[in-house]
Amino acid sequence: MKVLFFGGLKEVVGGAEEFVELKPGSRIEDLFAQFISRCPELARFRSSLVASRNQEFAAWSTPLDSGDEVAFLPPVSGG
Amino acid sequence: MSIHPSDSILLVHESIDASALVGSVRTGGDGAIVTFDGCVRNQSHGRRTLYLDYEAYESMALVKMREIAAEVHTKFQIDRVALAHRLGRLEIGETSVFIAVSAPHRAAAFEACRYAIDTLKRSVPIWKKEYFEDGAVWADGELPPVPQDTHTRKSAS
Repeated sequence: MKVLFFGGLKEVVGGAEEFVELKPGSRIEDLFAQFISRCPELARFRSSLVASRNQEFAAWSTPLDSGDEVAFLPPVSGG
Repeated sequence: MSIHPSDSILLVHESIDASALVGSVRTGGDGAIVTFDGCVRNQSHGRRTLYLDYEAYESMALVKMREIAAEVHTKFQIDRVALAHRLGRLEIGETSVFIAVSAPHRAAAFEACRYAIDTLKRSVPIWKKEYFEDGAVWADGELPPVPQDTHTRKSAS
């Protein structure tokens, strides 16, 4: 599945776009944990970001399908 | 939420054409057009800003901007709304966001325009990086409201 990172998160992960194999039954929080295991520095951003699934804000408990597009979004600062 | 075909919802990489947007909301039935022009300030928390760089999750930003437009139609007695945000590098004084709202009467246009910019700043996935003489930082932002644990509740009911 496609996973996107924006703003400062992109710099922490070292890329804006990642493709990952989803473990069956994964929720958004599991996907994020997968990235933390690759990039431990991400853990400290957990409480100051939100996730989206298919262009809608989504709770951490949201179940995922392999065709979903998930993004991790830092606090927004448009305008 | 319903889409109003006469509304303009745009993400642009060049200058925002404010007069075209104002023209796009103007009809014979309107008695007021209220606009908001958000522009790049020359300082942030006392540090001199050189320029800003905006990025967006473009597909989602457009979804959220369309939702804001639909929402202002349901909340306020307005006619049309135009909502544009610029991305990329912006110099001091340039317009980063422009909103125009037309309505038969001014109160609704003022309220809808205020609501649209406040909601955009809180819920549209756009970020700005501020460049100073001695470095750059991602601007402090707002964490958008997220539906909490709806899936847990669904499975419990």
